[in-house]
Amino acid sequence: MVKAKEIFLFIMLFILGVFFIYIYFYIKQTQEEIFIKMQGNKIEDVSYILKNIEDALLSKNHILSKDDLISHLSNRKNRTNYEEMISLFITPSIKYIYLLCKDEDERFRFLLDASKEDKANFYQKFDVFNEEYALAYQTSKPQIIKQQEMQNLYLTYLYPIKSANEVIGVLSVDITSDIQSEILDLLRPLETFFVILIIFIFLLMLMTILQIFHYFITRKKIFTDPLTQIYNRNYLQEISPRLNLNHYSLAMIDLDHFKVVNDVYGHKAGDAILAKSSLIMKSSIRDNDILIRYGGEEFMLLLYNRDSKDDLSEIYERIRKNISSHIFTYEKNKIEMQVSIGVHEYPAKEKNLNEAIKVADKMLYIAKKEGRNRVICHKDNSKSIKNLNSKDIYFVKRAIEEDRVLCYYQPIYECKSGKIFKYEALVRIIDTDGKIIAPIQFLPELKHTNIHYKLTQRILFIIFDKFKNSCDNVSINMNFTDLINKDIETTLIDTFASNPSLASRVTIEVLESDEIQNTALFKEKVKLIHSYGATVSIDDFGSGYSNFKSILDIEADFLKIDGSLVKNIATNEKDFKVVKSIIAFAKDSNMKAIAEFVHSSEVYDKLLELGVEYMQGYFIAKPCERLLRESELFKG
Amino acid sequence: MRALILLLLFTLSSLASETSLNLQVKIMEKVLNEISINKERIIWSDNKTICKSFKKSNLIQTTPDCKQATIIILQDKNNLPKECAHCIVFVLDYELLSKVPKSFGAFFWKKGRPNIVILKSRLKGLSIQASSALEPYLEEKIW
Repeated sequence: MVKAKEIFLFIMLFILGVFFIYIYFYIKQTQEEIFIKMQGNKIEDVSYILKNIEDALLSKNHILSKDDLISHLSNRKNRTNYEEMISLFITPSIKYIYLLCKDEDERFRFLLDASKEDKANFYQKFDVFNEEYALAYQTSKPQIIKQQEMQNLYLTYLYPIKSANEVIGVLSVDITSDIQSEILDLLRPLETFFVILIIFIFLLMLMTILQIFHYFITRKKIFTDPLTQIYNRNYLQEISPRLNLNHYSLAMIDLDHFKVVNDVYGHKAGDAILAKSSLIMKSSIRDNDILIRYGGEEFMLLLYNRDSKDDLSEIYERIRKNISSHIFTYEKNKIEMQVSIGVHEYPAKEKNLNEAIKVADKMLYIAKKEGRNRVICHKDNSKSIKNLNSKDIYFVKRAIEEDRVLCYYQPIYECKSGKIFKYEALVRIIDTDGKIIAPIQFLPELKHTNIHYKLTQRILFIIFDKFKNSCDNVSINMNFTDLINKDIETTLIDTFASNPSLASRVTIEVLESDEIQNTALFKEKVKLIHSYGATVSIDDFGSGYSNFKSILDIEADFLKIDGSLVKNIATNEKDFKVVKSIIAFAKDSNMKAIAEFVHSSEVYDKLLELGVEYMQGYFIAKPCERLLRESELFKG
Repeated sequence: MRALILLLLFTLSSLASETSLNLQVKIMEKVLNEISINKERIIWSDNKTICKSFKKSNLIQTTPDCKQATIIILQDKNNLPKECAHCIVFVLDYELLSKVPKSFGAFFWKKGRPNIVILKSRLKGLSIQASSALEPYLEEKIW
């Protein structure tokens, strides 16, 4: 991920690049200044020499005009004398010294050439291309020509020879660039080093820019869930280090019965529902709120609460209402959806974001347990929640070690006979203060942990010990993951094999959950239980994870109707119809229906009307540490 | 890295010499185009580098056989084949003008500057017409 590191690197490289460019030009400028100084010195020296030559040539020979000069130098002997004299000034840096004059056609011709190489003939034409030659004639002033790309010549110094204020010739000195070349050769590695360094730095800068550019291009892809077009968990991971939880309220949102949509309408329908739900949620929140697809059908919402005029609970409620009131359509099918929302209003009170998510998850669990389609809020000052918050995996571990695990038993009433058909064993833990802790306060923490299996083992031990010598039937709650656990299976088989009477009185209640993916394996385990004479019940049927076909395949003996459906049948026509259908389905499938959450006489009457075989609930009897008898039922 | 620097320097020096040669060829091409010889300009030269550079020209053709040439560009008098004595010659040294009577002009570097000399008398003798563009380079005699 590109963060401040890359931007810092880019700035550093930029500063370095600018610094090295400055150094490079500083060297170039210094080099130029050295050359200018050298040039000044050299020209000063040369001009003295040329003045002396001029004096020697003109004053001694009484030359007054150009013609006199040509005439005097046309004599080979004179020429040789002067050339020999002038050639004394030839040095490695002064390559050529020669005298030129302009002919009638304004062409320059050699009069003297003291050069030791590339010597010109007398009066040979010399093609010049610099205007300084003409200027030397016009202005009567010395001219400097800075040569470029001409062999190894560096400078040409033109010195006009005057007689009676008239220029009659030009002494030309070609100065080589040997010393300059040496200086350049010395400086070249340094220059090259800086050039390469600058190129390297700019390449690095380019790469950094590309990386930053690429980051911004891919950022959206990295942090966006492609299906719902909302943020994904990568984004959460990215922002979590700098997320100030004081400014947010946190909620976990789960689409109720989503698996049913997938099972009934297919995954494409599921995807469409997810996308549309996300859109509805997004439209229900504000711009500064953060909605994240946390996984599957679970979303995480961070509601910005700072200086907020909005009531946050209203926003959660708005989301819930907007989802439940929306009719989702997929291939002409109309699908109704609901959401359960678990809220932690003060996530900053937790150690970190993960802890806050756990609390919100617990609230979500409660929302699910209480019948879904609701918002359950964890307020920091809630004492009960504080207690709930403290029941972690170590609490259960210690309870097992210190033998503080026990079972409560809730009678399951047989409507026809009016007798107690069996008891459902319900786990409890006694805390160190002697208070009874309900499973909702510790079970969610244990999911998929080894402690969960240990707790199940302990419960089995307690139940089997209590019922091994009695005539009562008992129902034991298990997760599918418990059922496929080798240790638990061994415990069950060993107990059933050694005590067939007990086996025939035991019902394993398997929670209908999303973990039952492998129906074949489930069926295999059910057969194994049946082989010892024990029975199997599907718990919380209608909670949405299984379809009717897979329940038929499993060949369970009992079907326990989910409490969230049962509790409202006296008031909710839809729930009544669903429960009625389930009872009818159970009868047709040779399963016995059990209705849980019978909390009032109205619900009880409705269930009697529907002809359900068995019932349990607070209206009949609350769970109790001991086994209640018929005479103790319906006592409120 | 060192190899890269060496390669760069080599390339730069090659480019510099290439520029000098190109300049020379361009000047000669211009000179040869400014004269009329009543024949197609087909060049043969004992300087193969120049010959190679002339091959890029659209106006002047080159030939590896001096017998097919109409103009010879000569660098060394000893390289002039006898069977090609009929051709007009353009020399690459001022001194060669006096050594090769069939030469009408020269291109040469004097004191690091490009110089051109066209001899009027030779042009006349060889029935070559020179355009006015060559006027500044026309000389009556060899000095």
